[in-house]
Amino acid sequence: MSAFWYYVFTLVFVMFDYFILAMGLNIQYGETGILNFAYIGFVALGAYVTGASSLPPSAGTGQQYIMGWGIPFPFNLLLGGLAASLLAVFVAVVALRRLRTDYLAVVLISFSLVFYDITNNYVPLFNGADGLYNVPEPLASVFKLTTNSFVPFFAVVAGLIALIMWWAMSRITNSPLGRTFRAIRDDDGVAAALGKGVFRYQLTSMLIGAFYAGVGGGLLVQFGGSFNTSSWLPAETFVVFAVIIVGGVGNNVGLLVGSLLVETLLIHLPAFLPDIPGHPGLIQYIDTMVVGVLLWVMLWFRPQGVVPERVRKTPLSLLQGLKSDRTANAEVPAMSLVDGAGVVEEGGVRD
Amino acid sequence: MTLFWLSVGFGFVTASVLAISAVGLSLQFGITNYINFAYGDYMALGAYFTYVLNVEFFHLEIWIATLFGSLLMGVLAVFVNRFLLSPFARRFNKTFYVMIVTFGLSLVILNVVYSIWGPNVRAYSMPIERVVHIGPFLLTKYQLITMVIAVALMLGIHLMLKGTRIGKSMRAISDNTTLAMTSGIDTKRITTITWFLSGSMAGLAGTVLGITEGNLTPAAGELFLFVIFAAVIVGGVGSIYGAMAGALLIGLATEVSVVFISAAYKLDVAFVILIFALLFRPSGLFARPGKD
Repeated sequence: MSAFWYYVFTLVFVMFDYFILAMGLNIQYGETGILNFAYIGFVALGAYVTGASSLPPSAGTGQQYIMGWGIPFPFNLLLGGLAASLLAVFVAVVALRRLRTDYLAVVLISFSLVFYDITNNYVPLFNGADGLYNVPEPLASVFKLTTNSFVPFFAVVAGLIALIMWWAMSRITNSPLGRTFRAIRDDDGVAAALGKGVFRYQLTSMLIGAFYAGVGGGLLVQFGGSFNTSSWLPAETFVVFAVIIVGGVGNNVGLLVGSLLVETLLIHLPAFLPDIPGHPGLIQYIDTMVVGVLLWVMLWFRPQGVVPERVRKTPLSLLQGLKSDRTANAEVPAMSLVDGAGVVEEGGVRD
Repeated sequence: MTLFWLSVGFGFVTASVLAISAVGLSLQFGITNYINFAYGDYMALGAYFTYVLNVEFFHLEIWIATLFGSLLMGVLAVFVNRFLLSPFARRFNKTFYVMIVTFGLSLVILNVVYSIWGPNVRAYSMPIERVVHIGPFLLTKYQLITMVIAVALMLGIHLMLKGTRIGKSMRAISDNTTLAMTSGIDTKRITTITWFLSGSMAGLAGTVLGITEGNLTPAAGELFLFVIFAAVIVGGVGSIYGAMAGALLIGLATEVSVVFISAAYKLDVAFVILIFALLFRPSGLFARPGKD
């Protein structure tokens, strides 16, 4: 297989993987309004658990890690997702119950930095800064795959998993549960007044989103065979936010578009370009600047994203000819994370 | 015991850098009500402005270069606010959007710094000084001057907030923007002044961080930003005096922790304090009415 197709399938895999990651962040932020700035931490935990649980016991491998159970493919991925969900419970109980908006964002991003710091420095956990490597290629022995044929094969597997997770996600977002999530996003006070346990729903949303993050991270480590701390600096969370903001918050199709535009074409494609002579890394720096500028441009000219959230019609609103005013006016963004212009009174700490 | 007192001395140095940066962040947050995630990159940029004046061109004496580097950063912060942040803040009343914009700003500034100066570690040109014994502490002249600057600046900010018209206007806007506006305070002018102060203090903090640590890297400010956040939240968000107290507490705790645990986990100590503060005193040490 030529190098060209190798790159193409790598990009296809990246697109599917970030689609899964974007769905996870979208249910937390886009549907429920939780500003999860620690998202990449959940991705990393999923990746580490998936990798470490599929590796053989660490003695004699030259690496230090916990677990080492040699669990085969789909199950280690599941374990990664569940581990990320478990972390979400911890984070939600400590931070989410007490804080909102800005403060939550600050605490979560600090949390992801600390998780990063500990993984980096405490070697016995996941082999420190070197990270895990030689993670077995899933199903390679079953289908007798070589290193070359593994890439297109696993891109297809990731696509199938993404498809299943997409189906599950649209089931969730179209269910009464999803409706409650959006009610909390639009106004948690109103949702609470209608008898919804806001924190319980936020916790559920965090759980589901973290599971997606864990699976997405697990696929990353299965595809690349290695995972270390340089691949998930806390600022990476911002890239996933860029994917969902550019694609369209609250719309699953938009997330696929965003993942194609931002992650695949803007971030991964230029990585294959040769360096400008005498300026190592310059392309990457410019590339990252472009992502930042693209965000300003998108937020200014099209804050609802390339594929905006569709106006959901209930039988009742159709009957009365009502139109949800939430997404009717595209100029006014749908989310109401902090209400009103008088933000001065908006509190940071929930009492 | 010697080691303990030594680290207390370093704790005061870190606390000084933290106090300058935390008060700068707090001032701006009090007025504009959104968090500037690019603040760490303002610090880095200010530090590199000083580097340019001190090493690359002009070869100014380090403290003179610091002064001009910081003021330059302040001016830049005003322009960024005028042409980027304030249009977004006016258009969207949800702080999330401005937060994402500052996040984008952080990406842009960091990568501009990387493109121009590269990822290599650099250092200011400073004459080497002997360390000075003061009581049980062991500090360099530069660290002492940093502490003096921090104390003087805190005193200055205190006098400005309590004594001058500008300071009183700032406190009024921070308490209630609408009320301040209807009382005839020129909020736009005060916001500009605040951004200038905040940017200058970021630049100053970034530079003294580079001076006291002995090196500067593009990402140093970003790493430090989370310690600043911890200081600001522990002290009580929006409270200037809280930020000062939080800086002292976090600065001492992170440095003294080195005596007991590995220095690699220094930053995490700040975070643990933050978590405990959130659990037991969520509105901070100096909670302000209207902000919690």
